[in-house]
Amino acid sequence: MKRTGLLYDERFLKHHTGANHPELPERLTAIYNGIRDRGLLEHLQVIPAQAAPRMWIETVHDRDYVDRFEAACRDGQPSFDSPDNQMCADTYDVALLAVGGILDIADRIVNGELDNAFCAVRPPGHHAEKAKAMGFCYFNNVAVAASYLQTQWLIERVAIIDFDVHHGNGTQAIFEDDPTVFYYSIHEHPSFAYPGTGRAFDNGVQRGTGYTRNTTVLPGQGDDFYREAVENELGPAITHFRPQVIIVSTGFDAHVDDDMADISLSTAGYAWMMDEIMRLGDRVADGKLISVLEGGYCLERLPELAADHVQSLLQI
Amino acid sequence: MFIRKSMQSKVIAANPQTTLLDARALLNTHRIRHLPVLDEDDRLVGIITDRDIRSALPAAFYKANGESLNEDDYRHLTVGDFMTRDPMAISPEDTIQDALLQIQKMRVGAFPVVDHDGRLKGIISVRDLLRAFINGLGIEEPGTLLGILVEEKVGQLKKIVDAITEENISCGSILVQRHWEKNMRAVFVYLLTNSVVRVKRKLTDLGFELLDPMDWSMERRPHHD
Repeated sequence: MKRTGLLYDERFLKHHTGANHPELPERLTAIYNGIRDRGLLEHLQVIPAQAAPRMWIETVHDRDYVDRFEAACRDGQPSFDSPDNQMCADTYDVALLAVGGILDIADRIVNGELDNAFCAVRPPGHHAEKAKAMGFCYFNNVAVAASYLQTQWLIERVAIIDFDVHHGNGTQAIFEDDPTVFYYSIHEHPSFAYPGTGRAFDNGVQRGTGYTRNTTVLPGQGDDFYREAVENELGPAITHFRPQVIIVSTGFDAHVDDDMADISLSTAGYAWMMDEIMRLGDRVADGKLISVLEGGYCLERLPELAADHVQSLLQI
Repeated sequence: MFIRKSMQSKVIAANPQTTLLDARALLNTHRIRHLPVLDEDDRLVGIITDRDIRSALPAAFYKANGESLNEDDYRHLTVGDFMTRDPMAISPEDTIQDALLQIQKMRVGAFPVVDHDGRLKGIISVRDLLRAFINGLGIEEPGTLLGILVEEKVGQLKKIVDAITEENISCGSILVQRHWEKNMRAVFVYLLTNSVVRVKRKLTDLGFELLDPMDWSMERRPHHD
């Protein structure tokens, strides 16, 4: 059994997105309850969040952007940068907690206290760009974590694996010219789904060419397609890159019952994929893996998906 | 949507005396495929394409070992002898729709743009038209496309737009495929949002059928799937 952490904090529920918004606090409650109800909490080290110092946020985001976000929040603006990004007065503080919690987890994994962890955070992050909030995301949680690992812990190679059903445009944009961060995303084909980026021919720019990779999934595709992509694209790419730490952008919205997109991954398909990523992590990154929650909106499916996910991390 | 708004007005051009080798170098350097040919008054007298030049020069010029050919043997070849004379041109005051239809009809890749005195004002290529349509469809902005099957009767689009408006969603573009099935149209709305779940439900409740994304098409015509 692995030493697995669970970053969870009830303050993450204080980011309110208003009526009729899919990115609800209830998502996180469903995830937590799913893990608890399967009896997994006793195997986990549950860790509360702490606010991230701004200096780490600013390794990824422009200072002006962070100021703008903070001001919009303090002024009681109902949304930020797009009507998609609905928020409340606490959103900025909660976003700092999400990032800070993940950085603390990163410390614990690098210093050997934990093998891996699931960071059940809100708000999500992978759409957030350097200076722009998008798709319910304000700070790019995984990007700040990768940057922190490199700056604070001098980790040379970090891989980010993103299986949220939407392309992580923010993460890609932040690292597209960086050969030290490999970004792999598998998502619904951009001609059919938000945000319309992550074409199969996008593979990085300049020095980063070859260090971004996108697999696009057509509507209706599911387990078979993912199996083939993980075995034939993700696996060889990670083996070749040899990351020292793997960060996973975990989105549960490719599930067949999730109506945010059109992909038909099953619960078993999700579990298989995460087990496979764990095997890759053990092989190349000494098992060091940080999973960070992105999307996933089907409240009925989130409990089982989250419990399976944590079980994969624990390897029990 | 006038040509003058979408054309390239800084044009790389040749004159009839330009050697083919120099013309070829111009095309390569600027990564273009068409060179308008001008007389001494800047009036358009012809156009020469990379294909014209390829046909005129030995294939060996285009192989890796092309340098070993003696270029001097080909320096007497000039653009004037190989260009298309009095080419089809278009006016800055024509529209990009004109250009699209003309390009399709004439099977060319670009049109020189000339004013009523025959002076070159620019060039418009398939590439420029593509850019115009990429902007027009808004596909570089983040959003989600929906395909909606709509009966062919008055007021349908209004219902769709109202439903979108009620959800406070901003609309990037709307495309109507007029011939989907008998008496049916397909409406493609590009919504600048991540969350389309509610608007999808609303449209279904209004009686619209959402098209399976795998059936979406820009090319559906009557009696043609």
